[in-house]
Amino acid sequence: MITFFPWRQAFKKKTIWFSLLVIAALGLVALLAPWLAPHDPYEMRTKQTSLPPMWVQGGLKPGEAAFPLGTDRYGRDVLSRLIYGTRTAFFLALTTVPLAALVGALIGFLAGYIGGRLDTFIQLTTDILQSLPGILFMVMVILIFRSLLAPTWLNGMFTLMIGFAAVAWVSLARLVRVNVLLIKSQLFIEAAVGLGASAWRVIAHHLFPNTLHVILVWIINNVPAIILLEAILGYIGVGVTGATDGSEFTVVSWGGMFFAGRSALNRNPWMLVIPSLCILLLSMSFILLANFLNESTRRQG
Amino acid sequence: MNSPLLQFLLKKFLRVIVILVSVAFITFLLMHAIPGSPWNSYFSSRQPQIFLGVDEAWLREINHRFGLDLPLWRQFTRYMIGDWDETGRFFCGAVCGNLGPSIRQRGRTVVQVLFQPPERQGFWQSRFGYSIRLVFLGTILSVGLGIPLGIVSAIRPRSALSRGIAVLLAALISIPNFVLGLLAIVVLASWLKIMRVLPDWSDPGQWIIPALVLAVMPLANIARVTQATLMNIAHEDYIRTARAKGLTFTRVILVHMLRSALAPILTFLGPTIMEMFTGSLIVESLFSFPGFGREYWEAVLRLDYPVIMGLTLIYACGILFLNGLIEMICAALDPRIRFIHYQGAP
Repeated sequence: MITFFPWRQAFKKKTIWFSLLVIAALGLVALLAPWLAPHDPYEMRTKQTSLPPMWVQGGLKPGEAAFPLGTDRYGRDVLSRLIYGTRTAFFLALTTVPLAALVGALIGFLAGYIGGRLDTFIQLTTDILQSLPGILFMVMVILIFRSLLAPTWLNGMFTLMIGFAAVAWVSLARLVRVNVLLIKSQLFIEAAVGLGASAWRVIAHHLFPNTLHVILVWIINNVPAIILLEAILGYIGVGVTGATDGSEFTVVSWGGMFFAGRSALNRNPWMLVIPSLCILLLSMSFILLANFLNESTRRQG
Repeated sequence: MNSPLLQFLLKKFLRVIVILVSVAFITFLLMHAIPGSPWNSYFSSRQPQIFLGVDEAWLREINHRFGLDLPLWRQFTRYMIGDWDETGRFFCGAVCGNLGPSIRQRGRTVVQVLFQPPERQGFWQSRFGYSIRLVFLGTILSVGLGIPLGIVSAIRPRSALSRGIAVLLAALISIPNFVLGLLAIVVLASWLKIMRVLPDWSDPGQWIIPALVLAVMPLANIARVTQATLMNIAHEDYIRTARAKGLTFTRVILVHMLRSALAPILTFLGPTIMEMFTGSLIVESLFSFPGFGREYWEAVLRLDYPVIMGLTLIYACGILFLNGLIEMICAALDPRIRFIHYQGAP
């Protein structure tokens, strides 16, 4: 049996300390967003648009900084939007990637365990989906679902979830399939079957625990993917938004901040740098974590 | 017909056909499921465009001209196989390489939009040629830097150097490429004035910056995969034998390990290069690079159906071709893979 997270090894490494701390801190920010944010992230102020962050010359002086990171072109407080955006990022990471993992693992498991025609069919399906340009596929799925649902925060998230899961499950399904095939051919499975273990027992006690680490590493590896994706889609203008009537984003997200910031790029590049620093920190922590998990499973196997 | 090679090739060919038709079918269904029409889509409702004299009769006529008034299945066969035009003559569809007329760009066919160079210039000056060259440069950069980085960090996995590389790679993956591109424009063009905001793209010297921006993420991914594959092989018996013979570690890596690691790395390269194409869609529109990136987004957001279909089909052909090529190289490199193919094992 595999220990799922090698805590003892983890605490010996500085990079792991760093990434766990960053994730914990940003998670706290996400949880406590209503108390931490100094302003309402949606409130527009027509008189205070496009203020630079407080350390830029010509901005507000440090003593009177009501908007420490400035405001965007609608006069909304950047810091508050950043804090609420953390919420969106964590919500996406915690729901979307596991959903995709569930679908992918299930399908990969079926393909590997049952085999035969079903396997051929699933293989063909994954080949087809991988021949589609992923981001275009996602954008189309998102545009379709968005038109079906009412423009609310939850539905905006839901569309992005569906869009990501529709594409991302493919790679996990392949991984799990290969892994199940490898394990199935090993002696201890044969021994278990020979001793009279039922199919369910083989799955629950042998196959599933031995593929779980593949799934876990995949999940951690794909958290950065969804955060980056949200940023890219937000930048293009089809990210987590409920609005279809041309009004601005109803959901505060890091990707949406890029969208709001790109028009004022030359005057105030901080609008772009600030959210991308957050993305950098969060996704880097997850990648370092995934690196470490890869390494420790390699040492065990 | 009984030779195994011929059967193998035939099977492959059939598979490619099935995949291409399915890709076309899925794209077709999805893009028609997006609400709106080329004249009234999500994007044009965001940035309202005023069409003077848009009335019912005009819409009916123009819908008829592009075949949008036909039932969906007829539109699909019209696109894929062909149809009879108004005068009763049969024209061939995507099967013959006719990707249809662009709806948004009046009077041009999709093939012209993508492949036709400006006047008195060669094929490489067409939109497709520009994109291909940019992605090619990006591939060279990412492979040329990624694989050595991976090797270096695999040689001494616990050293400060390889830990530094790991952190650097994690950082490179975590920056969205459009942020890098925008920052490059702001810093290099607006502040330092090293490059121009709208450079003359016919001068290849200017290409290095968009190519680098494009190559950053694949570079990091390739380096990580190289490192992981090398580390996986490091415990195999034949590596231990080679070490026991007295060969240096560097030589074992470069000669013994790299050869067997090449197959997984190459297999990873196929999707990575194609991802660079999707990445180039964004990077190109950032730098107003004359490739087909901008066409693509415009087509998707404005529902220019034939352009979406054409580009998706070309993409699918590209990835299938690349994967086939890589499979062949792998088979040439590694006899085990060749064996599996002929046996038809999993």
